[in-house]
Amino acid sequence: MPAEPHSRRPAVGEGPMMRLALIGLAILFLAAFLALPLVAVFSQALAKGVGAFLKGLADPDALSAVRLTLTVAAIAVPLNLVFGVAASWAIAKFNFRGKSLLLALIDLPFSVSPVISGLVYVLLFGLHGSFGPWLRDHGVQIIFAVPGVVMATVFVTFPFVARELIPLMQEQGVEDEEAAIVLGASGWQTFRLVTLPNIRWGLLYGVLLCNARAMGEFGAVSVVSGHIRGKTNTMPLHVEILYNEYNFVAAFAVASLLALLALVTLAAKAALEWRFADQIAAAKR
Amino acid sequence: MAIEIRNVEKTFGAFTALGGVSLDVRSGELLALLGPSGSGKTTLLRIIAGLDHADAGEVSFDGQDTRDRAARDRKVGFVFQHYALFRHMTVFDNVAFGLRVKKKAERPAEMDIRRRVDQLLTMVQLSHLATRYPSQLSGGQRQRVALARALAIEPKVLLLDEPFGALDAKVRKDLRKWLRHLHDDMHITSIFVTHDQEEALELADRVVVMNHGQIIQVGTPAEVYDHPADSFVFDFLGGVNRLNGVIEAGVARLDGKAVRVDGAVGADGPAVIYVRPHQVELGVAPAEGVPEGKWSARVSSLHAAGPVARLELDLAGRALEAQLSRDRLSDLALEVGSWCTVDFRHARVFPAKS
Repeated sequence: MPAEPHSRRPAVGEGPMMRLALIGLAILFLAAFLALPLVAVFSQALAKGVGAFLKGLADPDALSAVRLTLTVAAIAVPLNLVFGVAASWAIAKFNFRGKSLLLALIDLPFSVSPVISGLVYVLLFGLHGSFGPWLRDHGVQIIFAVPGVVMATVFVTFPFVARELIPLMQEQGVEDEEAAIVLGASGWQTFRLVTLPNIRWGLLYGVLLCNARAMGEFGAVSVVSGHIRGKTNTMPLHVEILYNEYNFVAAFAVASLLALLALVTLAAKAALEWRFADQIAAAKR
Repeated sequence: MAIEIRNVEKTFGAFTALGGVSLDVRSGELLALLGPSGSGKTTLLRIIAGLDHADAGEVSFDGQDTRDRAARDRKVGFVFQHYALFRHMTVFDNVAFGLRVKKKAERPAEMDIRRRVDQLLTMVQLSHLATRYPSQLSGGQRQRVALARALAIEPKVLLLDEPFGALDAKVRKDLRKWLRHLHDDMHITSIFVTHDQEEALELADRVVVMNHGQIIQVGTPAEVYDHPADSFVFDFLGGVNRLNGVIEAGVARLDGKAVRVDGAVGADGPAVIYVRPHQVELGVAPAEGVPEGKWSARVSSLHAAGPVARLELDLAGRALEAQLSRDRLSDLALEVGSWCTVDFRHARVFPAKS
């Protein structure tokens, strides 16, 4: 008698029917909630042909929104890269008073609604806010201007890099750094030659996620930007304006561009993972 | 290089890791810091390296206080328990690290670095693995890379934290012998931390036994093994039988019979008699009675694999372990359940802890 097939099943495995059901459920869910909307965005954008699509994108206000979004990301991501590395370095490698407070603060942007984050900036820097009169007297405008948009974005995207790095650095401990220092390396050499290479993959994921969110942030930015066309409108805000004006093709054209940026980010991540699979495995060891 | 350690204290919160430790490390010797976990041995090693700072006391290298010398300026070779190899660098780059991070004025030319690293890799027998990454090496190979990396900066002192702790028994033995030869060739002052008494006794020139942040005894392996300072050292340096007896009028007694003991006997009162298993002398039981000055015991189990036979005996209700050669065992013709006489060649007595 040949062995019964089910007798070879691993102890933790499920039966074939169960497995099929689970996989099917996962795919169905992904298709309904993730893939379908994405397809809808692109099909709506192209509903009236490529000409209308391109016209929507070539609009000066749309171009200005694209420019602002890229500018904001280009400022917010490097800032949060530095802050994130510094904060996780401090938390993972040192013991100090207020460490758990710092940890809680890092999570604040995740736990607070972005709208509230935006409102806080208005209350602080707005014309009637705490620093408003002083800023006005010195000719600095933050709210309803680009600095406000940048600040709100930095606030909202702060946790991404730090959250990615803290568990990684805590797990790696300080032995590698100690080894480098005993071998005569300076603090900067230790960071550049030992710490940074040890965290580079976590750092890359953090930066990619941070970037995706910086480009896509709506709530906080919406409160502080003032929606001034061609000036303080980012892509997500511009999409909303166009949509509210029943300019569906243009709205979806900009939206599809935004979605495309996100897809490029994801593709870059996947490509890097594929290209450096052995290094990532070695780093995890 | 000689190292003088004077009254070094270190606490972590409420825990006293080192409570006023003083020690002289002689130039060129191989010294073992031996003790159970939490005895302060690793803390002492890290203070010497400059990775931790003493709360009080001083450490000097060749008479120079090290307080103001940062770890990176101490020229100390440190081998970590888990190797701490840089995982994104090849074996070669790991070993070259200490040379490449030198200030420009002191840094050797890349060609000289290459030569020096090749030399070190030959010495640790890993030249053929120079382009591998640490994750592709076995534990023993990683340990040797860590050693080569530490030696690359030509340290004045080599510090090793549980260097064989993470290796399996066979590799550990080989590496131990190899390290001893290496030390004999290089004569670099070396200190290693271990909780394995066999390792300390076999490898070191001198052994420092530590417990609860204190140094209990310093001596050659033979000194600490044959003349342990107290019951802790006796206990820690290998298998021992502890038999409850008494001290009466300056004589140690077990079941009323006098026990010949080495060293001081101590004050009258309850006492513990310490005997190593190989110091238990067994004899053929006579047909009747027990000979003068000896005890009688029954064999409760017998392990006779290898050159040495291990017996567990029942001595008036106490478990007693004995070791003797296989030849002696067959002369005595002992088996489980048979009776024999017991005597102690060497024993020590310490007052019972209340």
